[in-house]
Amino acid sequence: MIDYKRFTLENGLRVLVHEDKSTPLIAMNLLYNVGSRDEDPSRTGLAHLFEHLMFGGSVNIPDYDTPLQLVGGENNAFTNNDITNYYLTIPSENIETGFWLESDRMLELDFSQKNLNTQKRVVTEEFNQRYLNQPYGDALLKIRPLAYKVHPYRWPTIGMDMDHVKNVDLEHVKAFFFSHYAPNNAILALTGNINYDLAYSLAEKWFGPIGSRSLQKRNLPVEPEQTEERILTVEKDVPSDSLYKVWHIGERLSADFYTLDLITDLLAGGESGRLYTKLVRERKLFSEINAYMTADIDPGLIFVQGKLMKGVDISHANTAVNEVINSLLDKKGIDEEIEKVRNKFESSTVFSNTSILNKAANLCFFELLGNADMINHEAEAYGKVSYDMITQAIDKYFKPSNCSTLNYLSTRKEK
Amino acid sequence: MMDKLKRVQPPVFPVENVIIPEAKALHLSNGIPVFMIEAGTEDIMRIEFTFRAGQVKEPLPLVASTCNMMLSEGSHKHTSEELNRLLDFYGIFLNQYAEKDNAGITLFCLSKHIEKVLEFSHEILFSPAFPEAELEALMKKRLRWYLVNREKVQNLAIDNFFESIFGKLHPYGYQINEHDFEKINPAILTDFHSRYYSAVNMAVIISGKIHPRTEELLNSFYGTGSIAAREAENNSIEIRSADQKKIHVSKSGAVQTAIRIGSKTINKRHPDYPGLKVLDSVLGGYFGSRLMKNIREEKGYTYGISSSLSSLDQSGYKIISTEVGQKYYQQTIDEIYKEIRILQNTAVPEDEIKVVRNYMSGEIVRMFDGPFALAESFKSVWEFGLDNNYYNSLVKKIKTIEADEITALAKTYYNLNDLYEVTVGSE
Repeated sequence: MIDYKRFTLENGLRVLVHEDKSTPLIAMNLLYNVGSRDEDPSRTGLAHLFEHLMFGGSVNIPDYDTPLQLVGGENNAFTNNDITNYYLTIPSENIETGFWLESDRMLELDFSQKNLNTQKRVVTEEFNQRYLNQPYGDALLKIRPLAYKVHPYRWPTIGMDMDHVKNVDLEHVKAFFFSHYAPNNAILALTGNINYDLAYSLAEKWFGPIGSRSLQKRNLPVEPEQTEERILTVEKDVPSDSLYKVWHIGERLSADFYTLDLITDLLAGGESGRLYTKLVRERKLFSEINAYMTADIDPGLIFVQGKLMKGVDISHANTAVNEVINSLLDKKGIDEEIEKVRNKFESSTVFSNTSILNKAANLCFFELLGNADMINHEAEAYGKVSYDMITQAIDKYFKPSNCSTLNYLSTRKEK
Repeated sequence: MMDKLKRVQPPVFPVENVIIPEAKALHLSNGIPVFMIEAGTEDIMRIEFTFRAGQVKEPLPLVASTCNMMLSEGSHKHTSEELNRLLDFYGIFLNQYAEKDNAGITLFCLSKHIEKVLEFSHEILFSPAFPEAELEALMKKRLRWYLVNREKVQNLAIDNFFESIFGKLHPYGYQINEHDFEKINPAILTDFHSRYYSAVNMAVIISGKIHPRTEELLNSFYGTGSIAAREAENNSIEIRSADQKKIHVSKSGAVQTAIRIGSKTINKRHPDYPGLKVLDSVLGGYFGSRLMKNIREEKGYTYGISSSLSSLDQSGYKIISTEVGQKYYQQTIDEIYKEIRILQNTAVPEDEIKVVRNYMSGEIVRMFDGPFALAESFKSVWEFGLDNNYYNSLVKKIKTIEADEITALAKTYYNLNDLYEVTVGSE
């Protein structure tokens, strides 16, 4: 159970505080309600590039990192489809420095042309490192536009084309900042060795004077329902064939979310998951296989991806994956398996809550979804999933017409 | 605009010294050492069983890692599938590891399941069956993983780096090749297991909210029986660094070049090590380091560059690592050497030393925050025969080191003629 208190500043900034005196540190998490889904299709990658720019100095502080390091702090950030999230940990005696730094870059960035030029190169190298210079690195770049035809989830967070990033200019950057970075579009969480009164007075002092801003209205195209199976086959110079499959699911708050979460755990939660047991251990079709669900706010995807063993035909492997999914419809022995994944979920939740950073990030994300209290009720929601709910969800989501498949084939003779 | 003017930097308070808890040391009835660290707010425990059973002990490449991986692939009582299902059923996370010196398993569990964890862990550690079919399947899978890994420039670079600094014959240095996967059989693993996974080679490290029955249960599962082991093989091979200092491996089509620069060096047992840690931080050990500022934040050649210092039982090494755009790789190498020369010839400014001091003090706080971090920090000195005095001297060095000492360390330990330079890329 995570006890927290919550308040909202006049400018709209929501703040959550969870005190944990067992640590000498404080975690500070600042979530901005902006991600790659908010980008113009002709300028993708801007939200992520912007995250890099946030470390290049703000209106009163020329360099973000040095003052934080000077007080023993450490920080990082990530951008995804939906949010941009900044976080730091800091010895509690120096928490005010965290407020000073974070509020100054919310107030206004130092829009420097030199920093923009450098960070465009850094992001291009990040793109090369993650997607181009790894075997199978571009698979996710190919499967997104296969599954999504109109919704912005069709492009990856880093951008669909590095030319988009190269073409960003300072005017785009400024416009993006003032229409998305604002107290009324952000959520702050403080966890660890901090009490409510201190958090309140520091939030008032440092974030209070920042005025609320008028935000860009979010009006995203709705992805039309997929009506027939989509298959893409590519050939590359990689060591073995690899299979990627995705199915559309509902939004993060849809009623089926925890049912689908449990299904992916039955399929791939740990070494005793069905995909691993059947396809790696017993039938030896794959050298590795995994299944997971995106936690996207808008309708997301379930992924199954695996690398094939030498000599295995990909259509045979594909059929085998579908067989394993359909095997969940058989009631025999499933109750014990459901209990197993519930226990594992309970234990993962407790482990996740040992980290003040996880607690801070989760509080912010659930608050964004509309109810921070969900942090204390996930295991309960997961525990309510029944066999009937599982079979209904499999019928509803795991049908061929809702599926996109990427066959990533090796050009090498000796596979 | 008033807002922008009145924002004054808050005072900087020195990071307070952490109190490093002492682990409670005890011995089971048969002498197995156990260390317990009580910590945390949640009812969870971390239990590690560690053995001197790493690569240094292996008679052939892949034996140490395969033996470790096969521990959970079936025991005399359960098949691999049953074992994994049982662990998952109790929400237990099992982590298996085989490193250069040590190997073992770490389990994470809710404290209420301590009895099950000790029962299963004992079965995993001491009754593995090494079934032939499972072994064959594992080796086929590992070969696939290996082939994928060897496509990545960063893996090719680190493999070649270790071979250069530790030699082709020493287990710290040799590279795996495809044929090594054919040479492993159950008999080799059984022999290795009986020599090195023995109670006399073992220690138990427990942290978290420790269940009151833990000691009693440990004694009932692990405390009986002799701790005698078969004699270890004497395979003492000398570490011999390669003569050739520069190695380039060609990887066609690579859009980035991986660079590894460094050499073997002193380990934690040497009195200069804490000072060298500070020097390493200045050079490339944190986001504000000189390499990061120069190569990423100033020039944008890379997504990241870092340096690190690592200890091994028989040696240690320092390494600078980065992947850079193919066309920038020579400039990057030149800049790396330039930064080292500056450290050898110019005093680090007082402001910068202060940032490094405080950043590292914060790192020390993070190293002892929570039950998992505490156990890892304990182990990383205990395995070198050291204790908390190492951390005390590190903290003291962080607080008192001066510029001239950093310069002297850079001259002693970063002699440019001693450094190995490995590059892997398309050129």
